[in-house]
Amino acid sequence: MSDKPFFVGYLPAPGPLRTFLLTACVLLIAGLAGAGFLMGAAQDDPGPGAFRFDYGRQTVTGVVEMTPYPVIHVTEGNDRIKPGDSFMMTAGGKSGVDSRAMPLDGQLAQVSGIVLERGDLYMMQLRGGRNGLQAAEGDAPEITPEPQGRWKLAGEICDGKCLAGAMRPGRGLAHKACANLCLLGDVPPIFVSTQPVLGEEFLLVIGPDDTRLPREAYDHVAQFITAEGEITKHGDLLIWEIDVDTIEVTE
Amino acid sequence: MSVKYIPVQWNPNKWIYDAVMLAGVAAFLWVFLYVTPGALSHERPINPQIHNARAFGACAFVMLTVILCIGPAARLDKRFLPLLYNRRHFGVMTAFVAMTHAGYILNWYFAFSSSDKYVGLLYANSSFGQIAGFPFEVFGIFALVCLLILAATSHDFWLKFLTPPIWKRLHYLIYAAYFSVAAHVSLGILQDQQNHVFTVLFLVGAGAVIVLHLAAWMQERSEAAGKDGAWAEVARVGDFRDGYAKIAKLANGDRVAVYLMEGKLSAISNACAHQNGPLGEGKIIDCLVTCPWHGFQYDVRSGRSPAPFTEKVPTYRVRVMGDMVEVHPDANPPGTYVEPVPLPVPEPDLHEEGVTA
Repeated sequence: MSDKPFFVGYLPAPGPLRTFLLTACVLLIAGLAGAGFLMGAAQDDPGPGAFRFDYGRQTVTGVVEMTPYPVIHVTEGNDRIKPGDSFMMTAGGKSGVDSRAMPLDGQLAQVSGIVLERGDLYMMQLRGGRNGLQAAEGDAPEITPEPQGRWKLAGEICDGKCLAGAMRPGRGLAHKACANLCLLGDVPPIFVSTQPVLGEEFLLVIGPDDTRLPREAYDHVAQFITAEGEITKHGDLLIWEIDVDTIEVTE
Repeated sequence: MSVKYIPVQWNPNKWIYDAVMLAGVAAFLWVFLYVTPGALSHERPINPQIHNARAFGACAFVMLTVILCIGPAARLDKRFLPLLYNRRHFGVMTAFVAMTHAGYILNWYFAFSSSDKYVGLLYANSSFGQIAGFPFEVFGIFALVCLLILAATSHDFWLKFLTPPIWKRLHYLIYAAYFSVAAHVSLGILQDQQNHVFTVLFLVGAGAVIVLHLAAWMQERSEAAGKDGAWAEVARVGDFRDGYAKIAKLANGDRVAVYLMEGKLSAISNACAHQNGPLGEGKIIDCLVTCPWHGFQYDVRSGRSPAPFTEKVPTYRVRVMGDMVEVHPDANPPGTYVEPVPLPVPEPDLHEEGVTA
């Protein structure tokens, strides 16, 4: 037993203990600040995706196609979006525009909204109601899918909107629940391939025979997987019919 | 010590304690939120809501780590005991920081959907059968519930209402919360990190908690004097110093603090009636055993707090057998007076005298 200074909470701290406590307090505060810096500065780059508000509101005309996720093939563009471009459409929040697009399947329509862009991935968040999507006058050219054969791809299933920049970061396992919620809300799913496929990194991923992404695939959202399926080209957009029975999780 | 309940019995040391802890938390959050964005060379910034969520989440983890390091550090080195003094307030701060983290997550990742955000939180990811992609949010929810329970029951009212043993056991939930946070982090953000600095810091923090607890446990184990038999050995006569105690561990696991005061031995329970603080690690001040955690005081002969306070702890019988001080393992009812036993004067060590003469 020794005569070490004894601290009693409601009494002044003993002199010899004060220096120790002062040092401990300073180290604690400095340590927390240092931990804050190291942890904050260790965050990964969320990627280049973003809402392009700087482009302003975009309005173009094109042919609506339910793939089954709604896609528009532009026939009459503007300075930024050219005829021949194809892009996916979504509503505000975690919702798709299926109910608005279905009646216009195969028809000419005018779409208006804000663009989300991540490299080659292009998506438009439409304005509400008829302001965002309405029938347009004129004859709609037929969109003929071009089969590209069966492919085995490696990569990750994401929700297209967060990936395109609605959230940064908008992919990865920490984002899985959010991605699932978006997909359940009919936001188009995207497969991010580790290697370019026919020149594209991003493919719209659907179920067999033009069905929605099967629920069995939701367990593998945000995981690094390999799977097989037929690829078809719709306009300038690649669509991959994933065969869920071939999904394998890889390291 | 208290004779009535008041919300917080403030004193200068508590103000200083809270100020230091708040300064540390503020420093962490300020640096994370406002300094690090300048250090990140990202083409486009992380969403502010996600950045905020990460800042508060990381802060809560670090705060929990500090909280869990204080206990074993104080057992290994008594100079850390003052850091235990107002740890409850730091715990409440942690609950608020964790709740802020949860708020950002809920109002960002689970908002903007046609589903209720609370419902979405529970059903959006149901991949419970796999490690990668496991709904790690459930661990965060569990940890937050634990922290809120601890914060809500941190006041002395609950200590008195539940009794210290039950209150203490309830507050062991902090370990469940920490393990849950570790799982939350491991199955969540760590799965995606390309920069492994956070992973290293996470492992260092969790490792420090484990190592300190093991070190404190091993030290106490080596010091344990628990032996079978009617009377338990405490220490040799010459080991006692006036005003301090020796602690004996009984066969049933209880600890007894045997104090020497004015040449006489008395034994009381080692567990303070306030929060089970280690009375044997305190000292006698103004003829009263003083708990090292919060300064609760007891008459060493009766185990009673001085009037007007009403706390009481059990007392024990003591005897001296030869050179050994022993304590009887049967506790007397709390507050029972036991006549102190005079400590024999140790015989002088002739050999040592011869050397020094």
